[in-house]
Amino acid sequence: MNRREWLKSMSALAIGAIAGPSLFAVFDAHAESQKPDAKPQFFDPAQYSLVGAVSQIIIPRTDTPGAVEAGVPLFVDQLFKAVYAKPDQARYLTAMAAFDKAGGKPFMQLDDAQRKALVTRLHAEALAVPKGGKPAPAADFVLMSKKLTMLGFFLSQPGCTQVLQYDPVPAAWKADIPLAQAGNGRAWAVEAELKI
Amino acid sequence: MEKNTFDAIVVGTGVSGGWAAKELTEKGVKTLVLDRGPMVQHLDYPTAMKAPWELPYGDEPTQEDLARWPKHTRPSFYGITQSTKHWFADDIDNPYEETKPFDWFRGYHVGGRSLMWGRQSYRFSEMDFEANGKEGVGVDWPIRYNDLAPWYDHVEHFIGVSGNNDHLAQLPDGDFLPPMDLNCVEKEFQGRLDSKFNRKLIIGRTANLSAPLKHDQSPQRGTCQYRNLCMRGCPFGGYFSSNSSTLPSAERTGNMTRVTNAIVYELIYDNAKGKATGVRVLDAETGKHTEYYAKVIFMCASTFGTAHILMNSTSTRFPNGFGNDSGELGHNIMDHLFGTGARAMVDGHEDRYYSGRRPTGFYIPRYRNIGSDKQAYLRGFGFQGGAGRQDWTRLVQEDALGEDLKRAAQEPGPWYVSMMGFGEMLPSHKNFVTLDRNHKDKYGLPVLNFDAAHQENEIMMGKAIIADAMEMLSGAGYRNVNSFTMKANVGAGIHEMGTARMGRDPKTSVLNGWNQMHACKNVYVTDGSAMASSACQNPSLTYMALTARAANHAVEELKRGNL
Repeated sequence: MNRREWLKSMSALAIGAIAGPSLFAVFDAHAESQKPDAKPQFFDPAQYSLVGAVSQIIIPRTDTPGAVEAGVPLFVDQLFKAVYAKPDQARYLTAMAAFDKAGGKPFMQLDDAQRKALVTRLHAEALAVPKGGKPAPAADFVLMSKKLTMLGFFLSQPGCTQVLQYDPVPAAWKADIPLAQAGNGRAWAVEAELKI
Repeated sequence: MEKNTFDAIVVGTGVSGGWAAKELTEKGVKTLVLDRGPMVQHLDYPTAMKAPWELPYGDEPTQEDLARWPKHTRPSFYGITQSTKHWFADDIDNPYEETKPFDWFRGYHVGGRSLMWGRQSYRFSEMDFEANGKEGVGVDWPIRYNDLAPWYDHVEHFIGVSGNNDHLAQLPDGDFLPPMDLNCVEKEFQGRLDSKFNRKLIIGRTANLSAPLKHDQSPQRGTCQYRNLCMRGCPFGGYFSSNSSTLPSAERTGNMTRVTNAIVYELIYDNAKGKATGVRVLDAETGKHTEYYAKVIFMCASTFGTAHILMNSTSTRFPNGFGNDSGELGHNIMDHLFGTGARAMVDGHEDRYYSGRRPTGFYIPRYRNIGSDKQAYLRGFGFQGGAGRQDWTRLVQEDALGEDLKRAAQEPGPWYVSMMGFGEMLPSHKNFVTLDRNHKDKYGLPVLNFDAAHQENEIMMGKAIIADAMEMLSGAGYRNVNSFTMKANVGAGIHEMGTARMGRDPKTSVLNGWNQMHACKNVYVTDGSAMASSACQNPSLTYMALTARAANHAVEELKRGNL
């Protein structure tokens, strides 16, 4: 499965409409999303805070940056604004509303331990659903958020360079080496993927 | 008129057009090179150096992209990403009709699809050139392997192909740069395939420079940096494209005149001379019409681009399309069976890894209907694949969360192996493309209408591809062996061929053994349309060799005053 298939597997990425961007445009939007003054365009402020809080539970700050420091909330906002079609947008927002009710009181009013416990419980619930089944909306929200957080984080600069390892210009192909000798021994941020 | 007259005109700048331009200009022929799209100079690759975090939307296509490229975003294609979408013709301005579904993926710019190609470079073998004649399929190729072998040498030497000489009758050796290595799981799979199935697994032969070129004609080309971002264009010149290789050579001769945004829509035929005298061109930006004249014309506009121009060039001599006395123009569309295969998980090897991103995989050359092997279907297929370690996406369905997730992602995942079949498609008169004169594009030109489908032989072979892939992975002792089937129509392999085939008989083919039109000797067609059969190997190298051979012939014929 390539990354595109994987992203799609979150839900059917339906085909939408409208005009196209100009040819040969050079983009810098992930960088754009990390500008300090960038504002969400899809989520309202309350939703945006919730997405940020959940993403930081999924990938917290440790000795390396967490999801929020890596710009994940804005990345997710932009995916919903530009990449996902209306049914996927609706699915996520509906699931978010269910999630916000799942902890007895609004998620942002829970303390840190309660938030983490709720996300952990719903994550386990989502994973327990047999293959082909559909998790309840609150659990669905956690699993979708996990995917989106991972995508945003592991494609971010901190994710690629501080957690995984990234070499922009490897200059050589070493096909079969001890793991310890493959850079710092961590997983490569970009796995070789054969495109034919 | 004076200013619009050249010795030769080359229509198109992809792998074939670039080679025609280089060979003709290097032999002193004043050559006009036309491309329907804008200029792309070598190094003019806007996303080439972007890191993952510098690309918006995780490199995914947006809803706007899907609306602009409804065909190029079909499941069989991966090119519409933020890092590569600017290389693909948009489907709104460049429509086509599908009597039967057809995947047509195009690049309209200087360099064409040589910029984005998969770079796999394999020779056709003697058995490929003989098969049609022996089996009574389509028409016999008018050439044999030995006719093309020196031109394969010539092309490989110039473009640089990394590969191993594997001494296989079905996949001739070549003039290669050093092979790239297989990783530990690929080597293991190679050994098991050999011992259990007596089948070969080799490193993919790819037009990437694993070492410096063996000549000094391309100073702009450096060695492969193992970034595996070839499709964006390579600022190191690490792989072959027209932009990085043949066109700079043509330019250095001083004999090339290049006109971009030049949509050739018609060949001009002179009844009195019995020759083509030039081409009619529409400027894609201004709509201005211009005529250019030359003694010889090379059609290298791609299989369907060339077919379009020829079908659109009607005259009293050629009422059914230029050079179409046989009625075969536009027919015999071939592609390779594409999009099916299998993958499996591989235990062990946890202490082994790799560094760098190799721009090729392994190749399992055809083994069906060779030697004593006899199948219900004709011909065969090869597999392209690779082994690697799973990345962080595996963790979505695992328990890890929070700090555990971060830690787990740092570990390379378990090994997997995956492979996809590329199967030969037989030529059939029933697979064809026509001009739809009721549907015009924004330039007022009729659009193409595709009517092609896989037939009985392809359907049998498609099943065998999956069965064989599963059997080999299971037989090698791997677990979780699963097949995959992508939704792919004819065309998905982007190996389209056959619309103006070569042959011995003008009654059944469009071109002769020199890629010259039977009916009009000063028109050469050297792109994929010339192919009389498809074999199962990636065909671009063969187009290049045919083009170089044809250009050499044209120059000799010019000297002899025959054109």
